[in-house]
Formats: sequence, structure tokens, C-alpha cells
Amino acid sequence: MLSEIVAQYTSEPTGYGAELTPGNFLARDAAKQFDSLSFDLPNAENPIDFLNTYTDVKSDNDNLIKLAHGTTTLAFKYAGGVVVAVDSRATQGSVIASQSVKKVIEINPYLLGTMAGGAADCFFWERELGRRCRLYELRNKERISVAAASKLLANMVYSYKGMGLSMGTMVSGWDKTGPNLFYVDNDGTRLKGNLFSVGSGATFAYGVLDTGYDHEMNKADAIDLGKRSIYHATHRDAYSGGYVRIYHINKEGWEFISLTDVDELHWQYADESRNRGA
Amino acid sequence: MECLMGLVGKDFVITVTDTMAIRSITVLKHDEDKTRELNPHTLISYCGEAGDTTNFAEYVQKNVKLYGIRNNIELTPGATANFVRRELADSLRTRSAYQVNLLVSGYDHKKGPCLYWIDHLSALAQVPFAAHGYCAYYCISLMDRHYHPDISLDEAMGLIRQCLEELHRRFIINMPRFVAKVVDKDGIRVIDL
Amino acid sequence: MHVRPSTHPTSQAKEAAFSPYEDHGGTNLAIAGPDYCLLASDTRQSNGYNINTRFAPKTFKLSNKSVLATAGCQPDCAMVTTRVKQSMLTYKHNHNKEMSTSAIAQMLSIMLYQRRFFPYYDFNILGGLDEDGKGCVYSYDAVGSYERVPCSAFGSASALIQPFLDNQVRNKNQLGKPKVTEFEPVTPLPLAEALRICKDSFTSATERDIYTGDYLQIFIITREGVEEQIHELKKD
Repeated sequence: MLSEIVAQYTSEPTGYGAELTPGNFLARDAAKQFDSLSFDLPNAENPIDFLNTYTDVKSDNDNLIKLAHGTTTLAFKYAGGVVVAVDSRATQGSVIASQSVKKVIEINPYLLGTMAGGAADCFFWERELGRRCRLYELRNKERISVAAASKLLANMVYSYKGMGLSMGTMVSGWDKTGPNLFYVDNDGTRLKGNLFSVGSGATFAYGVLDTGYDHEMNKADAIDLGKRSIYHATHRDAYSGGYVRIYHINKEGWEFISLTDVDELHWQYADESRNRGA
Repeated sequence: MECLMGLVGKDFVITVTDTMAIRSITVLKHDEDKTRELNPHTLISYCGEAGDTTNFAEYVQKNVKLYGIRNNIELTPGATANFVRRELADSLRTRSAYQVNLLVSGYDHKKGPCLYWIDHLSALAQVPFAAHGYCAYYCISLMDRHYHPDISLDEAMGLIRQCLEELHRRFIINMPRFVAKVVDKDGIRVIDL
Repeated sequence: MHVRPSTHPTSQAKEAAFSPYEDHGGTNLAIAGPDYCLLASDTRQSNGYNINTRFAPKTFKLSNKSVLATAGCQPDCAMVTTRVKQSMLTYKHNHNKEMSTSAIAQMLSIMLYQRRFFPYYDFNILGGLDEDGKGCVYSYDAVGSYERVPCSAFGSASALIQPFLDNQVRNKNQLGKPKVTEFEPVTPLPLAEALRICKDSFTSATERDIYTGDYLQIFIITREGVEEQIHELKKD
């Protein structure tokens, strides 16, 4: 008797296999059919070598499938919350594929993810993270913590370690414990911290950011620091550019702040330093 | 690049780890804790491939804790070290091996303090003192020179400080911060360097 | 799919021969307008310096609201198109309605990412009308990263055409002209103007790109449905 009831509320985790008899239709957990992801692999001796030969993740061969890449992203905690700042350029080889990429992914009103590395990898896995966070919320009747969300992401990509994924991301948000910031990458590394910068222009951003950082600064200064750091990274890193996109997180959740053309910033900053000199 | 050291004293074990998290040429973090408490008297410290390290350490941590809960008795440090070694050895026989170097330090209420050295090929040895990574090249000889089995905590800390001074003097990598943890009959605690 | 067991002694030697990709050239272009979407592609299929055929269409009507343009390795393009069509049919049977263009866009992304470790050599542009009847263009990389853009060029002559589109369609770096920012989903161009720019793009690309030429196939998607046109390009 009990097993019948259990069976009624259980479903197979396969898409087509799930029996849609009238009795169990409503009890079926639609989310379950997506529980196990599967990817096609090449019929080669070593699928990973195959991938490295034909895509441009690790080599500079010309006849390759070019994947969209490149970035500067940063996020830091300060007294007033978290600032997240990113550029908007995507490159395929030396070609600028887009100047309008949205590298901040809004996972839910309290959680943001940034994307650096392979665009498709970041897109796919952070979308998957968003789905799992929503499921967590539905199942547990409370929002997922930033620590748990970042761990979900780290565990997902860790299981594909060495397969050639390319992803450097910062998961940030506000939960019961306050502002939180985690760094997660395709190695499976997951670090809690106060200040991170990821991507090809990260070293340039770090220079400006570390020097200008003060935990007690006000919101306007924090936002300006983020903007400036990205600007300087786009100035020196050819793989970064386009627009600076800024988000701010406080206990009300995240808030979109601004989207500014790097070119505009360049002349604005140039004017400012000229006026200071006069 | 990373640095792990351990030393068994008269009635305690000290482990010292660096605190840097590195990716490529960038230091991502200056205060990363590279140790996990397995149970009240066993501490594991680790270094190696990014991602593998924390994943493996937390995996064995959870299992050792589970053992304690299930059986209402904690694994001894020796048993823990052998469990960790076996898990690492089994993973070596798969396509995705953990590349982790470990030190297991613990206080056995019957046998006293002990230190186990495990490398990424899962070789295990019980040792009086040990080091992993490049710092082994600088510190092992110093420990050979000054170590004796009845070493007191103050003396041991002095020796550790000498090791770190030598690292600062000769090692090309700048490691500004280390964390030292002591395991003794009272459990695990952080000790100022 | 599974990994082939490596029992045969010569399996290592054969390995180097597993090269399932070929670039078949060709160019696609798409422009999204306020109430239309325009997709165009040439029909030449080549293989190195050889021209396989002068008429091999690689842009396909998916529904009355959406069209898919593919470029890259022809078999991969065909496979992707087939799978998208199949899934759209299944969707229609399950839900008794046509898939919206934005839904197809997300599905295509997942379909491409499914092959993250064995990518389709296929660069797609999906064009159509969105839920509000506005034109929409989605452009993709090989493994499913995608973005909605006002206009896009992909394929062998994309480096020739894209800068031209940026200048003429988005008014980029044109002082005094109203700026079409990166983030606007559609261009304000009237259809006739878009058609003119599209044809100019292809005649010019044909002059400078050996993989582009023969015929120009244009799909115009409006509220009335999909209209297909064929124009001549140079055949040398």
C-alpha cells in the first residue's frame, strides 16, 4: 500500500520514459527529466585530445572552430555591499565577435554570476545553476545561500574537469549572513573572498582596484572604482572592451547601476586629469 | 609552489601551511585555509592541483565524520591516514585521479601525537617531521639538524620560525603569511607564529 | 555515443585520420527591422579551391515566423537544421502551437551545447519575428553562446561584411547620424533600405571572397509570412 503511494509520487528521471498515465500526471516532477545532463562525445580514442585539436581553447591553429572568449570582470565586497563590474567584449580568435555581451548573469533577485572564459560554457552552466537554485527554493521554501549556490556550480564543473571547459566566474549576492562573494573556475576551485578579478585583463584591473580599495568607502566611490578598474583593463587588454556594466548588491538584492561606453569614459577621464593639471 | 610542513613534538603535532590561492601568475587569495578538521583530534593539510585539493579533503573529511557519527567512536589518526591513503590509491586507478599531497596530523589517546606523510601517488609514511612542495628542499635539512623527539612546543615553534625565515631568505616565491595549527590531547587550535 | 575500445593494434595509427570537419565556405547575413526580419545567404559550396556546387542553399525556413541560416561544415549544418525542425514538430504535437522564435533560440543553444565536447562546425544565425512582431536576429558560436543583435554577418566573408553593416545599419562612428546602440534589438531601417544594403554587401563580398558567390538567397519575414527571393551573383 505504502509503496503504491510512494510510486505515485515518484517519477523516472528520463524524459521519454516517464509514464504519463492519468493517475500520475500531476504527481510527475517535471524538473526530474533534466536531472542528469548528458553530452555527446566524439568517437575518438581520446575525446579530450580531439577537442583540443579542433577548438581554440588550447592552441592557436588557424583551421579551428573558434569559440567566443575573453573578458575582464571584477567584484568586491565593501562596507555598503558588493560591487560587480564587467566589460562587454567577446572575441573569436582576433575577431571581435561582439561588443555587447552581457557578462553578468542574473541568477535570481539576490544572486549574480559573472562570466569570463568560454562564453557558451559560462552561459550554459550559470543558466543551469539558476535552474537548480530555483528548484532549491521551491523544495526548501527559502532562498539558497551564496555559499551553497557557488558550491553547486563548482561541483557541476568539477565533474567535467580536464574536459576542456573554460569558465572563471564570481558568484555574489546577499543572503542570511550578509554580502557574500565566491570565485569559482573550471578547475573546480571555489574560494570565498572580498575582492576578485577574473579574465585576460584581470591583472590590469587588479592594479587599479587593489590600490584604490578601501573597505569603508561610500557607494559612489565604490562604483567609480569598479568602473575605473574595468576601463583601465580595457585600455591595456585587447581582448577586453566595449561597455562597462556595473551592478551593486545590498540587502534589498542586486541593482543595475550603469552601462557606459568605454570610449566615453576615456574622454571623461582624460578631461578630469587635464582639469586637475590646470 | 605551495608549502606544507609538519612536526611531531613531545605531546603535540604542529602543521604549518601557506595561505595563498594561486591561478596562473595571480594570487587570488592571501588567507586561504589549506587544512580540514577530520575529527576532534585529526587534522589534514593539503596541497596540489587546484580543485582536486579541497574536493578530496572535504570528501575524506565528510566520510571520517560520518564514521564517527555512525559508530560513536572516532577513527584514530593512524586509521584515518590509512583510509585517506586507500581513497587516494583507488582514485589513482581511475581516469580522473586526485593530484593531492597530504599531511595527516593527529593525537592518538593511546599512542600520543603522530604525523603521516602522503604524496600524490598515495605513498604513506609515518614520520617525525615532514614537508611537501618546494619548501621541503629548504626545511627538511633544518629539521634534520635541530629536531629531537622530546622537543617542546616552544622549541618546535622556534624551529618552525627558522624554517620560515630560511624560506623568506632563499625561496623565490614570496609567501607572506603562514598558519600554524597544533593538535594535542585537547584538540586542534591555531597558534601564533 | 561511446568510446571505441582500443583493442585493435592499429587503432592508434588510425586515430590521426579521424577528422570529421571541413569548411564549406559561404556567407550569411541578417538584419532585424521594426516589423520585418531579413536573412540572406549565398549558395556557393566550396572545398578548398574547388567549387562543389553553385546552388546549395544553407538557409532554411523553420516556420512562418522563423528562418535558420547556417554556415560551416555542410553535414553539421544539415544535422542541426534537421534536429531543430524535428524538435519544433514534437513541440507542436505536444503543445498544439508553433514554437516562438525566442524559444527556438534557447533550444538551439542547448542543442549546440549538447555537443560541447564534439562541436558541430556550424555557425548559426536565427532570424524571425518576436512575440511583439518585431524583427529579431540571434547569432551563435559553435557551442551555443548566443546573443540577440540588430544585425549580423557570419561565414567566410563576415570580416568583409560585418564592418560595413556596423557602419551602414548601426550608424557606427558616423557623426551626426542617430546612433543605433549595441543594445537595441532592431534597426530603424525600412525594409527597402535593408534589402539594398544586403544586396550591396553580397555583390561586394563576391568581388573579394572566393568562397562567396553564384546566387543570393534572401528570406524576408513579415507578419504575412516568409518570402523567398533568389538573385544572381557573379559566378567566377
